[in-house]
Amino acid sequence: MRAAGLGGLIALIAIGVVLAVSEADGATPAERTGALAAELRCPDCQGLSVADSQTTAARAIRRQIDEMVASGASDDEVRAHFTARYGDWILLAPSSPLVWLIPFAAVLAGLLALAAWLVRHPARPGVAPAPLTDEQRRRLHEEAEALDA
Amino acid sequence: MRLLRWLLVPIVVLPLAWLLLSGFGRDPREVASPLIGGPAPAWTLTTLDGETLSSADFAGRPYVVNFWASWCGPCVDEHPVLTGTRAELGDDLAMVGVLYQDATADADAFLTRYGDTGYSHVTDPDGRLAIDYGVTGPPETFFVDAAGIVRDRQFGPLTRALMEERLASIGVTP
Repeated sequence: MRAAGLGGLIALIAIGVVLAVSEADGATPAERTGALAAELRCPDCQGLSVADSQTTAARAIRRQIDEMVASGASDDEVRAHFTARYGDWILLAPSSPLVWLIPFAAVLAGLLALAAWLVRHPARPGVAPAPLTDEQRRRLHEEAEALDA
Repeated sequence: MRLLRWLLVPIVVLPLAWLLLSGFGRDPREVASPLIGGPAPAWTLTTLDGETLSSADFAGRPYVVNFWASWCGPCVDEHPVLTGTRAELGDDLAMVGVLYQDATADADAFLTRYGDTGYSHVTDPDGRLAIDYGVTGPPETFFVDAAGIVRDRQFGPLTRALMEERLASIGVTP
């Protein structure tokens, strides 16, 4: 019983410490390194982030992010460090948020063009088909029965 | 209105198709280096001969930094251009090779097989210099003027003509 109480106390303290540390700056150094590595393009792969690649270059960059984070660099300082060397190319996501709007703008433009076209070319008023004559109706039945047979 | 529809093809569709098609022929890594116009990264590294070499040793002289590897095919192609330039210019131009993700034994074997360049090669064990220069893959060559400013970069193998063109940017004529 006492052991259980002691265990519970230790668990509570551990949770408290974890919460205090993670609340201190939002994320642990390892989490920050991981998040930053996921933002950077691996220099010698095709379309992979530094976080997802095991090439020597990707590992070297991860090590450097680790060092910078440990020495107190901000996320923006780490990004600036690599864009100063590789250019904006190293960032996987475009730095201008406007770029994200282009596909939506294209879809909107297409819808507007379609709407404009529909307004200019309204569907012709429907003309109901003429009712079948007795002769046509008789042939229809004949041929339907021939199919069933 | 009908005229506008016919103009749509030459004005919108053709330029767009040209833009997309031209993208096929380009290497997406071949972007302008942000280093150009700025000071060259400083370094102190160990040569294949085990000596210490530093960028400060080139102070006051134009120099060329060539990133290469023994496993890199195009590096074999540009090798004669580098050795030729060295033989021709001698001490008028400092040159240094930087091993990019390569083992020293393999690099030594490469130089034995294809011929010594006549200048030193340094190892970059943790890839720090390659990152400082923003190298994405060998061969990549940087041209630094006598004031220590990066003036040009060659992405991919150097030919004789490209070498002359790039060297002109740092005031060197072969």
